Amino acid sequence: MSVEPLIRVRDLQLSLPDMARKPLFGPAPRIEILKGLSFDLPRGAITGIVGESGSGKTTAGRALVRLLQPTGGSITFKGQDITHLSETSLKPLRRDLQMIFQDPMSSLNPRHTIGRIIANPMERYGVPNARQRALETLERVGLPASFAGRFPHELSGGQRQRVGIARAVALDPAFILADEIVSGLDVSSQAQVLTLLRQLAQDMNLTIAFISHDLSVIRNVCSQVIVLNQGLIAEAGPCRQVFDAPQSPITQTLIDAIPLPEIDESWFDTVKV
Amino acid sequence: MTVPTLEIQSLTLGLKGGARLLRDVSLSVKPGEVHALVGESGAGKSMIGKAVLGVLPPSVQTLSGSINLQGNQLDALSPAARRQAVASVASLIPQDPLTALNPSRRIGPQITDRLIKRLGWKADDAQRRALELLDRVRIRDPQRVMASYPHELSGGMRQRVLIAAAFAPRPKLIVADEPTTALDVTVQKQILALIRELQQQEQTAVLFVTHDMGVVAKISQRVSVLFAGKVMESSDTADIFSHPKHPYTQALIMATPRYTHPDEALRPVPAELIAQLQREIAADDRGAAHVR
Repeated sequence: MSVEPLIRVRDLQLSLPDMARKPLFGPAPRIEILKGLSFDLPRGAITGIVGESGSGKTTAGRALVRLLQPTGGSITFKGQDITHLSETSLKPLRRDLQMIFQDPMSSLNPRHTIGRIIANPMERYGVPNARQRALETLERVGLPASFAGRFPHELSGGQRQRVGIARAVALDPAFILADEIVSGLDVSSQAQVLTLLRQLAQDMNLTIAFISHDLSVIRNVCSQVIVLNQGLIAEAGPCRQVFDAPQSPITQTLIDAIPLPEIDESWFDTVKV
Repeated sequence: MTVPTLEIQSLTLGLKGGARLLRDVSLSVKPGEVHALVGESGAGKSMIGKAVLGVLPPSVQTLSGSINLQGNQLDALSPAARRQAVASVASLIPQDPLTALNPSRRIGPQITDRLIKRLGWKADDAQRRALELLDRVRIRDPQRVMASYPHELSGGMRQRVLIAAAFAPRPKLIVADEPTTALDVTVQKQILALIRELQQQEQTAVLFVTHDMGVVAKISQRVSVLFAGKVMESSDTADIFSHPKHPYTQALIMATPRYTHPDEALRPVPAELIAQLQREIAADDRGAAHVR
Protein backbone atom coordinates (compact mmCIF):
# COMPACT_ATOMS: atom_id res chain seq x y z
CA MET A 1 0.00 0.00 0.00
CA SER A 2 2.80 2.40 0.80
CA VAL A 3 3.94 2.67 -2.81
CA GLU A 4 5.54 6.03 -3.38
CA PRO A 5 3.30 8.16 -5.64
CA LEU A 6 4.92 9.50 -8.80
CA ILE A 7 4.04 13.05 -7.86
CA ARG A 8 3.34 14.32 -4.38
CA VAL A 9 1.92 17.78 -3.88
CA ARG A 10 1.82 19.42 -0.48
CA ASP A 11 0.19 22.75 0.37
CA LEU A 12 0.78 24.03 -3.16
CA GLN A 13 0.30 27.76 -3.43
CA LEU A 14 0.67 29.91 -6.48
CA SER A 15 -0.03 33.54 -7.12
CA LEU A 16 0.28 35.42 -10.39
CA PRO A 17 0.55 39.13 -11.12
CA ASP A 18 -2.86 40.63 -11.88
CA MET A 19 -1.99 42.66 -14.95
CA ALA A 20 -5.50 44.14 -15.14
CA ARG A 21 -4.85 46.00 -11.90
CA LYS A 22 -1.21 46.88 -12.53
CA PRO A 23 -0.42 50.51 -11.81
CA LEU A 24 1.47 52.47 -14.47
CA PHE A 25 4.62 52.31 -12.36
CA GLY A 26 5.54 49.63 -9.90
CA PRO A 27 4.66 45.98 -9.67
CA ALA A 28 1.23 44.49 -10.37
CA PRO A 29 -0.67 43.28 -7.34
CA ARG A 30 -0.62 39.49 -7.04
CA ILE A 31 -3.69 37.37 -7.23
CA GLU A 32 -3.81 34.07 -5.37
CA ILE A 33 -4.77 31.27 -7.73
CA LEU A 34 -3.86 28.17 -5.74
CA LYS A 35 -4.38 28.48 -2.01
CA GLY A 36 -2.82 25.29 -0.66
CA LEU A 37 -3.42 22.02 -2.53
CA SER A 38 -2.27 18.64 -1.24
CA PHE A 39 -2.70 15.49 -3.29
CA ASP A 40 -0.86 12.48 -4.70
CA LEU A 41 -0.71 11.25 -8.27
CA PRO A 42 -0.25 7.49 -7.96
CA ARG A 43 1.90 5.72 -10.56
CA GLY A 44 0.00 4.32 -13.52
CA ALA A 45 -3.24 6.10 -12.65
CA ILE A 46 -5.25 8.69 -14.56
CA THR A 47 -6.30 11.38 -12.13
CA GLY A 48 -9.02 13.80 -13.16
CA ILE A 49 -8.83 17.45 -12.15
CA VAL A 50 -12.16 19.21 -12.50
CA GLY A 51 -13.66 22.53 -11.55
CA GLU A 52 -15.44 25.58 -12.92
CA SER A 53 -13.49 28.08 -14.97
CA GLY A 54 -11.29 30.08 -12.64
CA SER A 55 -11.06 27.25 -10.11
CA GLY A 56 -7.32 26.87 -10.75
CA LYS A 57 -7.27 23.55 -12.61
CA THR A 58 -5.09 24.74 -15.49
CA THR A 59 -2.76 26.60 -13.12
CA ALA A 60 -2.42 23.47 -10.98
CA GLY A 61 -1.55 21.44 -14.07
CA ARG A 62 1.05 23.96 -15.20
CA ALA A 63 2.63 23.94 -11.76
CA LEU A 64 2.87 20.12 -11.90
CA VAL A 65 5.04 20.26 -15.03
CA ARG A 66 6.78 23.37 -13.67
CA LEU A 67 5.68 25.70 -16.42
CA LEU A 68 4.81 27.91 -13.46
CA GLN A 69 6.82 28.48 -10.33
CA PRO A 70 4.86 27.79 -7.12
CA THR A 71 4.95 30.49 -4.48
CA GLY A 72 4.58 28.06 -1.60
CA GLY A 73 4.34 24.40 -0.68
CA SER A 74 6.12 21.61 -2.51
CA ILE A 75 5.96 19.32 -5.53
CA THR A 76 7.90 16.09 -5.31
CA PHE A 77 8.51 14.11 -8.49
CA LYS A 78 9.94 10.60 -8.12
CA GLY A 79 11.09 11.54 -4.63
CA GLN A 80 12.88 14.68 -5.79
CA ASP A 81 11.67 18.12 -4.71
CA ILE A 82 11.15 20.06 -7.96
CA THR A 83 9.27 23.02 -6.48
CA HIS A 84 12.02 25.56 -6.96
CA LEU A 85 14.38 23.85 -9.39
CA SER A 86 15.93 26.19 -11.94
CA GLU A 87 15.26 25.62 -15.63
CA THR A 88 18.77 24.17 -15.98
CA SER A 89 18.21 21.67 -13.20
CA LEU A 90 14.79 20.83 -14.59
CA LYS A 91 16.17 20.04 -18.03
CA PRO A 92 16.98 16.38 -17.36
CA LEU A 93 13.45 15.94 -15.95
CA ARG A 94 11.61 17.64 -18.78
CA ARG A 95 11.53 14.50 -20.90
CA ASP A 96 9.58 12.78 -18.12
CA LEU A 97 7.06 15.61 -17.76
CA GLN A 98 5.14 15.81 -21.02
CA MET A 99 1.96 17.63 -21.89
CA ILE A 100 -0.89 17.54 -24.37
CA PHE A 101 -2.84 20.73 -24.97
CA GLN A 102 -6.42 21.65 -25.71
CA ASP A 103 -5.99 23.03 -29.19
CA PRO A 104 -3.68 20.91 -31.30
CA MET A 105 -3.84 23.41 -34.16
CA SER A 106 -2.07 26.04 -32.10
CA SER A 107 0.27 23.64 -30.31
CA LEU A 108 1.64 21.99 -33.46
CA ASN A 109 4.04 24.01 -35.59
CA PRO A 110 2.13 24.64 -38.83
CA ARG A 111 5.33 24.74 -40.88
CA HIS A 112 6.65 21.37 -39.75
CA THR A 113 5.59 17.97 -41.04
CA ILE A 114 3.93 15.59 -38.62
CA GLY A 115 7.03 13.37 -38.73
CA ARG A 116 9.26 16.26 -37.75
CA ILE A 117 6.88 17.41 -35.02
CA ILE A 118 7.08 14.00 -33.36
CA ALA A 119 10.78 13.38 -34.03
CA ASN A 120 12.08 16.81 -32.98
CA PRO A 121 11.71 16.42 -29.21
CA MET A 122 13.25 12.95 -29.40
CA GLU A 123 16.26 14.35 -31.26
CA ARG A 124 16.64 17.04 -28.64
CA TYR A 125 16.76 14.42 -25.92
CA GLY A 126 19.18 12.30 -27.94
CA VAL A 127 16.82 9.39 -28.55
CA PRO A 128 18.41 7.21 -31.26
CA ASN A 129 16.53 6.55 -34.51
CA ALA A 130 14.09 9.36 -33.81
CA ARG A 131 12.67 9.34 -37.34
CA GLN A 132 12.01 5.61 -37.25
CA ARG A 133 10.46 5.86 -33.80
CA ALA A 134 8.23 8.69 -34.96
CA LEU A 135 6.78 6.39 -37.62
CA GLU A 136 6.21 3.65 -35.07
CA THR A 137 4.55 6.09 -32.70
CA LEU A 138 2.22 7.29 -35.44
CA GLU A 139 1.00 3.75 -35.89
CA ARG A 140 0.71 3.36 -32.16
CA VAL A 141 -1.77 6.26 -32.04
CA GLY A 142 -3.73 4.80 -34.94
CA LEU A 143 -2.45 6.99 -37.77
CA PRO A 144 -0.85 5.62 -40.95
CA ALA A 145 2.92 6.11 -41.22
CA SER A 146 2.27 8.06 -44.43
CA PHE A 147 0.98 10.93 -42.27
CA ALA A 148 4.61 11.70 -41.37
CA GLY A 149 4.91 13.75 -44.55
CA ARG A 150 1.76 15.79 -43.99
CA PHE A 151 1.26 19.13 -42.32
CA PRO A 152 -1.06 19.84 -39.35
CA HIS A 153 -3.61 21.75 -41.45
CA GLU A 154 -4.15 18.67 -43.62
CA LEU A 155 -5.46 16.69 -40.65
CA SER A 156 -8.82 16.67 -38.90
CA GLY A 157 -9.12 17.84 -35.30
CA GLY A 158 -9.15 14.29 -33.95
CA GLN A 159 -6.12 13.32 -36.04
CA ARG A 160 -4.21 16.39 -34.88
CA GLN A 161 -4.92 15.51 -31.27
CA ARG A 162 -3.53 12.02 -31.94
CA VAL A 163 -0.36 13.74 -33.16
CA GLY A 164 -0.28 15.72 -29.91
CA ILE A 165 -0.51 12.44 -28.02
CA ALA A 166 2.13 10.84 -30.25
CA ARG A 167 4.57 13.68 -29.62
CA ALA A 168 4.16 13.23 -25.88
CA VAL A 169 4.28 9.42 -25.67
CA ALA A 170 7.17 9.09 -28.16
CA LEU A 171 9.47 10.28 -25.38
CA ASP A 172 8.27 7.47 -23.12
CA PRO A 173 7.59 9.93 -20.30
CA ALA A 174 6.67 9.05 -16.73
CA PHE A 175 4.00 11.75 -16.53
CA ILE A 176 1.61 13.41 -18.95
CA LEU A 177 -0.46 16.50 -18.31
CA ALA A 178 -3.57 16.44 -20.51
CA ASP A 179 -5.36 19.78 -20.33
CA GLU A 180 -8.87 19.76 -21.86
CA ILE A 181 -7.59 17.63 -24.72
CA VAL A 182 -11.01 16.68 -26.09
CA SER A 183 -13.07 19.78 -25.47
CA GLY A 184 -12.73 21.03 -29.05
CA LEU A 185 -13.60 17.71 -30.67
CA ASP A 186 -16.79 16.11 -31.96
CA VAL A 187 -18.16 13.33 -29.79
CA SER A 188 -16.98 10.67 -32.18
CA SER A 189 -13.38 11.96 -32.30
CA GLN A 190 -13.59 12.50 -28.57
CA ALA A 191 -14.49 8.84 -28.03
CA GLN A 192 -11.58 7.77 -30.24
CA VAL A 193 -9.03 10.00 -28.55
CA LEU A 194 -10.13 8.99 -25.05
CA THR A 195 -10.10 5.30 -25.90
CA LEU A 196 -6.60 5.72 -27.30
CA LEU A 197 -5.37 7.60 -24.25
CA ARG A 198 -6.76 4.96 -21.93
CA GLN A 199 -5.14 2.18 -23.94
CA LEU A 200 -1.74 3.91 -24.04
CA ALA A 201 -1.88 4.67 -20.33
CA GLN A 202 -2.44 1.00 -19.64
CA ASP A 203 0.19 -0.28 -22.09
CA MET A 204 2.88 2.18 -21.05
CA ASN A 205 1.96 2.47 -17.37
CA LEU A 206 1.59 6.22 -17.75
CA THR A 207 0.68 8.53 -14.92
CA ILE A 208 -1.70 11.18 -16.24
CA ALA A 209 -3.28 14.31 -14.81
CA PHE A 210 -6.41 14.76 -16.89
CA ILE A 211 -7.91 18.23 -16.67
CA SER A 212 -11.47 18.61 -17.89
CA HIS A 213 -14.66 20.46 -17.11
CA ASP A 214 -16.69 17.48 -18.33
CA LEU A 215 -17.40 15.09 -15.48
CA SER A 216 -18.82 12.44 -17.82
CA VAL A 217 -15.48 12.29 -19.60
CA ILE A 218 -13.60 12.19 -16.28
CA ARG A 219 -15.79 9.37 -15.02
CA ASN A 220 -15.01 7.38 -18.14
CA VAL A 221 -11.23 7.71 -18.19
CA CYS A 222 -10.07 8.45 -14.64
CA SER A 223 -9.75 6.26 -11.59
CA GLN A 224 -9.63 9.12 -9.14
CA VAL A 225 -10.71 12.73 -9.25
CA ILE A 226 -9.82 16.03 -7.60
CA VAL A 227 -12.54 18.69 -7.54
CA LEU A 228 -11.18 22.23 -7.30
CA ASN A 229 -13.10 25.26 -6.19
CA GLN A 230 -11.56 28.73 -5.99
CA GLY A 231 -8.03 27.45 -5.64
CA LEU A 232 -8.81 24.86 -2.98
CA ILE A 233 -9.63 21.16 -3.12
CA ALA A 234 -13.34 20.82 -2.53
CA GLU A 235 -13.25 17.06 -2.67
CA ALA A 236 -10.97 14.26 -3.83
CA GLY A 237 -11.13 10.50 -4.00
CA PRO A 238 -11.81 7.47 -6.16
CA CYS A 239 -14.25 8.33 -8.96
CA ARG A 240 -16.82 5.80 -7.80
CA GLN A 241 -16.95 7.31 -4.34
CA VAL A 242 -17.02 10.95 -5.46
CA PHE A 243 -19.69 10.37 -8.10
CA ASP A 244 -21.90 8.05 -6.07
CA ALA A 245 -21.84 10.10 -2.89
CA PRO A 246 -20.53 13.62 -3.53
CA GLN A 247 -19.63 15.32 -0.27
CA SER A 248 -19.12 18.85 -1.53
CA PRO A 249 -21.90 21.08 -2.88
CA ILE A 250 -19.66 22.15 -5.76
CA THR A 251 -19.25 18.52 -6.84
CA GLN A 252 -23.02 18.11 -6.75
CA THR A 253 -23.46 21.32 -8.79
CA LEU A 254 -20.94 20.10 -11.39
CA ILE A 255 -22.67 16.72 -11.63
CA ASP A 256 -26.13 18.32 -11.89
CA ALA A 257 -24.88 20.54 -14.71
CA ILE A 258 -23.98 17.64 -17.01
CA PRO A 259 -26.54 17.37 -19.80
CA LEU A 260 -26.92 13.62 -20.22
CA PRO A 261 -28.21 12.47 -23.61
CA GLU A 262 -31.55 11.40 -22.20
CA ILE A 263 -34.91 13.06 -21.57
CA ASP A 264 -35.19 14.50 -18.07
CA GLU A 265 -38.02 16.97 -17.52
CA SER A 266 -36.72 17.97 -14.09
CA TRP A 267 -33.16 18.80 -15.23
CA PHE A 268 -33.71 22.57 -15.11
CA ASP A 269 -35.28 22.39 -11.65
CA THR A 270 -31.87 22.43 -9.95
CA VAL A 271 -30.46 25.44 -11.77
CA LYS A 272 -29.89 28.78 -10.11
CA VAL A 273 -29.75 31.45 -12.80
CA MET B 1 -52.94 24.07 -36.81
CA THR B 2 -50.33 26.63 -35.82
CA VAL B 3 -48.61 28.36 -38.71
CA PRO B 4 -44.86 27.67 -38.49
CA THR B 5 -42.61 30.66 -37.86
CA LEU B 6 -39.95 29.16 -40.08
CA GLU B 7 -40.43 26.73 -42.90
CA ILE B 8 -37.52 25.49 -44.96
CA GLN B 9 -38.33 23.40 -48.02
CA SER B 10 -35.87 21.25 -49.95
CA LEU B 11 -33.00 23.65 -49.37
CA THR B 12 -29.87 22.70 -51.31
CA LEU B 13 -26.75 24.82 -51.04
CA GLY B 14 -23.47 24.41 -52.85
CA LEU B 15 -20.13 26.07 -53.26
CA LYS B 16 -19.96 27.92 -56.55
CA GLY B 17 -19.15 25.24 -59.11
CA GLY B 18 -18.36 22.68 -56.47
CA ALA B 19 -19.31 20.60 -53.49
CA ARG B 20 -22.76 20.54 -51.93
CA LEU B 21 -23.12 21.88 -48.41
CA LEU B 22 -26.80 21.19 -47.77
CA ARG B 23 -28.83 18.53 -49.50
CA ASP B 24 -32.59 18.83 -49.76
CA VAL B 25 -33.10 20.04 -46.19
CA SER B 26 -36.69 20.55 -45.06
CA LEU B 27 -37.80 21.53 -41.59
CA SER B 28 -40.22 23.80 -39.82
CA VAL B 29 -40.27 25.52 -36.42
CA LYS B 30 -43.47 26.58 -34.68
CA PRO B 31 -43.85 29.53 -32.30
CA GLY B 32 -42.54 28.62 -28.86
CA GLU B 33 -40.73 25.55 -30.17
CA VAL B 34 -37.02 24.77 -29.93
CA HIS B 35 -35.78 22.83 -32.93
CA ALA B 36 -32.28 21.44 -32.48
CA LEU B 37 -29.90 20.94 -35.40
CA VAL B 38 -27.33 18.39 -34.34
CA GLY B 39 -24.39 16.83 -36.13
CA GLU B 40 -20.63 16.74 -36.23
CA SER B 41 -18.49 19.57 -37.54
CA GLY B 42 -18.99 20.04 -41.24
CA ALA B 43 -22.50 18.55 -41.19
CA GLY B 44 -23.98 21.87 -42.30
CA LYS B 45 -25.91 22.70 -39.14
CA SER B 46 -24.61 26.28 -38.85
CA MET B 47 -25.09 26.70 -42.59
CA ILE B 48 -28.85 26.31 -42.17
CA GLY B 49 -28.93 29.14 -39.63
CA LYS B 50 -26.80 31.31 -41.90
CA ALA B 51 -29.10 30.63 -44.85
CA VAL B 52 -32.13 31.70 -42.81
CA LEU B 53 -30.44 34.88 -41.59
CA GLY B 54 -29.13 35.62 -45.08
CA VAL B 55 -25.50 35.71 -44.03
CA LEU B 56 -24.10 32.94 -46.19
CA PRO B 57 -20.52 33.46 -47.37
CA PRO B 58 -20.36 34.84 -50.93
CA SER B 59 -18.88 31.56 -52.18
CA VAL B 60 -22.09 29.69 -51.28
CA GLN B 61 -25.09 29.69 -53.57
CA THR B 62 -28.62 28.40 -53.18
CA LEU B 63 -29.18 25.68 -55.76
CA SER B 64 -32.81 25.02 -54.93
CA GLY B 65 -35.40 25.23 -52.20
CA SER B 66 -37.18 27.96 -50.32
CA ILE B 67 -37.24 29.60 -46.89
CA ASN B 68 -40.44 31.03 -45.49
CA LEU B 69 -40.01 33.20 -42.41
CA GLN B 70 -43.13 34.54 -40.67
CA GLY B 71 -45.10 34.51 -43.91
CA ASN B 72 -42.36 36.04 -46.06
CA GLN B 73 -41.01 33.95 -48.90
CA LEU B 74 -37.42 35.12 -48.43
CA ASP B 75 -36.03 33.97 -51.76
CA ALA B 76 -38.69 35.97 -53.62
CA LEU B 77 -37.53 39.24 -52.06
CA SER B 78 -34.91 41.68 -53.26
CA PRO B 79 -31.71 41.62 -51.16
CA ALA B 80 -32.67 44.86 -49.36
CA ALA B 81 -36.23 43.75 -48.69
CA ARG B 82 -34.94 40.42 -47.50
CA ARG B 83 -32.53 42.04 -45.04
CA GLN B 84 -35.36 44.14 -43.64
CA ALA B 85 -37.72 41.14 -43.44
CA VAL B 86 -35.13 39.10 -41.56
CA ALA B 87 -33.97 41.91 -39.28
CA SER B 88 -37.47 42.66 -38.07
CA VAL B 89 -38.26 39.02 -37.28
CA ALA B 90 -35.10 37.05 -36.51
CA SER B 91 -32.13 37.34 -34.14
CA LEU B 92 -28.90 35.46 -33.64
CA ILE B 93 -27.31 34.26 -30.42
CA PRO B 94 -23.72 33.64 -31.53
CA GLN B 95 -21.29 31.01 -30.31
CA ASP B 96 -18.43 33.05 -28.99
CA PRO B 97 -19.36 35.75 -26.50
CA LEU B 98 -15.77 36.99 -26.52
CA THR B 99 -15.71 38.04 -30.16
CA ALA B 100 -19.37 38.82 -30.84
CA LEU B 101 -19.35 42.14 -29.04
CA ASN B 102 -17.50 45.19 -30.32
CA PRO B 103 -14.69 45.70 -27.78
CA SER B 104 -14.53 49.46 -28.27
CA ARG B 105 -18.20 50.24 -27.67
CA ARG B 106 -20.27 50.25 -24.53
CA ILE B 107 -22.84 47.47 -24.02
CA GLY B 108 -25.89 49.79 -24.11
CA PRO B 109 -25.66 50.98 -27.72
CA GLN B 110 -24.70 47.48 -28.82
CA ILE B 111 -28.16 46.36 -27.68
CA THR B 112 -30.18 49.43 -28.66
CA ASP B 113 -28.59 50.33 -32.02
CA ARG B 114 -30.48 47.70 -33.93
CA LEU B 115 -33.78 48.69 -32.29
CA ILE B 116 -33.33 52.36 -33.10
CA LYS B 117 -31.51 52.38 -36.42
CA ARG B 118 -32.92 49.27 -38.06
CA LEU B 119 -36.35 48.89 -36.51
CA GLY B 120 -37.25 52.52 -35.90
CA TRP B 121 -37.80 52.38 -32.14
CA LYS B 122 -37.74 55.59 -30.10
CA ALA B 123 -34.49 55.91 -28.14
CA ASP B 124 -36.34 55.92 -24.82
CA ASP B 125 -38.25 52.75 -25.66
CA ALA B 126 -35.09 51.01 -26.82
CA GLN B 127 -33.29 52.02 -23.62
CA ARG B 128 -36.16 50.77 -21.48
CA ARG B 129 -36.38 47.49 -23.38
CA ALA B 130 -32.63 46.90 -23.06
CA LEU B 131 -32.75 47.48 -19.30
CA GLU B 132 -35.75 45.17 -19.00
CA LEU B 133 -34.01 42.38 -20.88
CA LEU B 134 -30.75 42.74 -18.93
CA ASP B 135 -32.81 42.42 -15.79
CA ARG B 136 -34.57 39.36 -17.15
CA VAL B 137 -31.24 37.64 -17.86
CA ARG B 138 -30.45 38.32 -14.17
CA ILE B 139 -27.83 40.97 -14.67
CA ARG B 140 -27.75 42.62 -11.30
CA ASP B 141 -26.98 46.22 -12.14
CA PRO B 142 -28.33 46.77 -15.68
CA GLN B 143 -27.59 50.51 -15.67
CA ARG B 144 -23.94 49.91 -14.88
CA VAL B 145 -23.62 47.07 -17.40
CA MET B 146 -25.14 49.25 -20.13
CA ALA B 147 -22.31 51.71 -19.53
CA SER B 148 -19.61 49.01 -19.39
CA TYR B 149 -17.26 47.80 -22.08
CA PRO B 150 -17.24 44.09 -22.99
CA HIS B 151 -13.82 43.45 -21.41
CA GLU B 152 -15.23 44.44 -18.04
CA LEU B 153 -17.60 41.45 -18.09
CA SER B 154 -16.95 37.72 -17.70
CA GLY B 155 -17.67 35.24 -20.51
CA GLY B 156 -20.92 34.12 -18.88
CA MET B 157 -22.03 37.75 -18.38
CA ARG B 158 -21.27 38.57 -22.00
CA GLN B 159 -23.34 35.60 -23.16
CA ARG B 160 -26.21 36.95 -21.00
CA VAL B 161 -25.82 40.33 -22.72
CA LEU B 162 -25.99 38.63 -26.12
CA ILE B 163 -29.16 36.78 -25.10
CA ALA B 164 -30.70 40.06 -23.95
CA ALA B 165 -29.69 41.70 -27.24
CA ALA B 166 -31.18 38.83 -29.25
CA PHE B 167 -34.53 38.94 -27.44
CA ALA B 168 -34.75 42.76 -27.26
CA PRO B 169 -36.43 43.34 -30.66
CA ARG B 170 -39.16 40.78 -29.80
CA PRO B 171 -38.06 38.39 -32.56
CA LYS B 172 -40.30 35.59 -33.77
CA LEU B 173 -37.28 33.40 -34.47
CA ILE B 174 -33.92 33.06 -32.78
CA VAL B 175 -31.01 31.23 -34.33
CA ALA B 176 -28.82 30.04 -31.47
CA ASP B 177 -25.52 28.91 -32.99
CA GLU B 178 -23.75 26.75 -30.38
CA PRO B 179 -24.36 29.42 -27.74
CA THR B 180 -22.86 27.40 -24.89
CA THR B 181 -19.95 25.61 -26.54
CA ALA B 182 -17.36 28.05 -25.21
CA LEU B 183 -18.72 27.93 -21.66
CA ASP B 184 -18.11 25.50 -18.82
CA VAL B 185 -20.88 23.16 -17.71
CA THR B 186 -22.32 25.12 -14.81
CA VAL B 187 -22.49 28.36 -16.81
CA GLN B 188 -23.85 26.39 -19.77
CA LYS B 189 -26.76 25.17 -17.69
CA GLN B 190 -27.59 28.71 -16.54
CA ILE B 191 -27.47 30.04 -20.10
CA LEU B 192 -29.65 27.20 -21.39
CA ALA B 193 -32.15 27.87 -18.60
CA LEU B 194 -32.27 31.57 -19.48
CA ILE B 195 -32.77 30.96 -23.20
CA ARG B 196 -35.52 28.47 -22.36
CA GLU B 197 -37.25 30.83 -19.95
CA LEU B 198 -37.28 33.84 -22.31
CA GLN B 199 -38.21 31.72 -25.30
CA GLN B 200 -41.17 30.22 -23.43
CA GLN B 201 -42.34 33.59 -22.08
CA GLU B 202 -42.11 35.27 -25.47
CA GLN B 203 -43.22 32.19 -27.44
CA THR B 204 -40.17 32.56 -29.68
CA ALA B 205 -39.30 29.84 -32.18
CA VAL B 206 -35.67 28.77 -31.78
CA LEU B 207 -33.35 27.04 -34.21
CA PHE B 208 -30.73 25.65 -31.84
CA VAL B 209 -27.45 24.53 -33.41
CA THR B 210 -25.35 22.18 -31.29
CA HIS B 211 -23.05 19.16 -31.54
CA ASP B 212 -23.97 17.93 -28.07
CA MET B 213 -26.71 15.28 -27.84
CA GLY B 214 -26.96 16.07 -24.13
CA VAL B 215 -27.88 19.69 -24.85
CA VAL B 216 -30.36 18.50 -27.50
CA ALA B 217 -32.10 16.32 -24.92
CA LYS B 218 -32.48 19.16 -22.46
CA ILE B 219 -33.40 22.18 -24.58
CA SER B 220 -35.36 21.02 -27.63
CA GLN B 221 -38.77 19.61 -28.48
CA ARG B 222 -37.86 18.74 -32.06
CA VAL B 223 -34.54 17.70 -33.56
CA SER B 224 -33.00 17.21 -36.98
CA VAL B 225 -29.89 15.05 -37.13
CA LEU B 226 -27.54 16.12 -39.91
CA PHE B 227 -24.76 14.31 -41.69
CA ALA B 228 -22.94 15.79 -44.68
CA GLY B 229 -25.62 18.43 -45.17
CA LYS B 230 -28.44 15.91 -45.23
CA VAL B 231 -31.14 15.34 -42.63
CA MET B 232 -30.75 11.76 -41.44
CA GLU B 233 -33.69 11.86 -39.08
CA SER B 234 -36.11 14.52 -37.92
CA SER B 235 -38.61 13.97 -35.14
CA ASP B 236 -39.71 14.76 -31.61
CA THR B 237 -36.77 14.94 -29.22
CA ALA B 238 -38.44 12.49 -26.84
CA ASP B 239 -38.71 9.92 -29.65
CA ILE B 240 -35.12 10.41 -30.80
CA PHE B 241 -33.83 9.40 -27.40
CA SER B 242 -36.32 6.62 -26.68
CA HIS B 243 -36.38 5.14 -30.19
CA PRO B 244 -33.61 6.52 -32.39
CA LYS B 245 -34.47 5.20 -35.84
CA HIS B 246 -31.47 6.12 -37.93
CA PRO B 247 -28.22 4.23 -37.23
CA TYR B 248 -26.31 7.53 -37.30
CA THR B 249 -28.54 8.99 -34.58
CA GLN B 250 -27.99 5.86 -32.52
CA ALA B 251 -24.24 6.15 -33.07
CA LEU B 252 -24.16 9.81 -31.97
CA ILE B 253 -26.01 8.96 -28.76
CA MET B 254 -23.73 5.98 -28.10
CA ALA B 255 -20.61 8.12 -28.60
CA THR B 256 -21.65 10.60 -25.90
CA PRO B 257 -20.05 9.70 -22.57
CA ARG B 258 -22.36 9.39 -19.57
CA TYR B 259 -21.07 9.53 -16.02
CA THR B 260 -23.95 7.24 -15.09
CA HIS B 261 -22.44 4.48 -17.26
CA PRO B 262 -18.73 4.65 -16.40
CA ASP B 263 -17.87 1.14 -17.47
CA GLU B 264 -19.42 1.41 -20.90
CA ALA B 265 -16.67 1.65 -23.49
CA LEU B 266 -16.82 4.91 -25.44
CA ARG B 267 -17.97 4.07 -28.93
CA PRO B 268 -16.99 6.34 -31.81
CA VAL B 269 -19.34 6.49 -34.78
CA PRO B 270 -18.34 3.32 -36.71
CA ALA B 271 -16.17 4.03 -39.76
CA GLU B 272 -18.21 1.55 -41.84
CA LEU B 273 -21.39 3.48 -41.10
CA ILE B 274 -19.77 6.76 -42.17
CA ALA B 275 -18.44 5.14 -45.35
CA GLN B 276 -21.88 3.73 -46.14
CA LEU B 277 -23.63 7.08 -45.59
CA GLN B 278 -21.06 8.80 -47.77
CA ARG B 279 -21.66 6.27 -50.55
CA GLU B 280 -25.41 6.83 -50.35
CA ILE B 281 -24.96 10.59 -50.49
CA ALA B 282 -22.59 10.37 -53.46
CA ALA B 283 -25.15 8.21 -55.28
CA ASP B 284 -27.89 10.75 -54.47
CA ASP B 285 -25.73 13.57 -55.82
CA ARG B 286 -25.16 11.70 -59.08
CA GLY B 287 -28.91 11.09 -59.35
CA ALA B 288 -29.63 14.77 -58.75
CA ALA B 289 -27.06 15.76 -61.38
CA HIS B 290 -28.85 13.52 -63.89
CA VAL B 291 -32.21 15.17 -63.32
CA ARG B 292 -30.69 18.59 -63.77
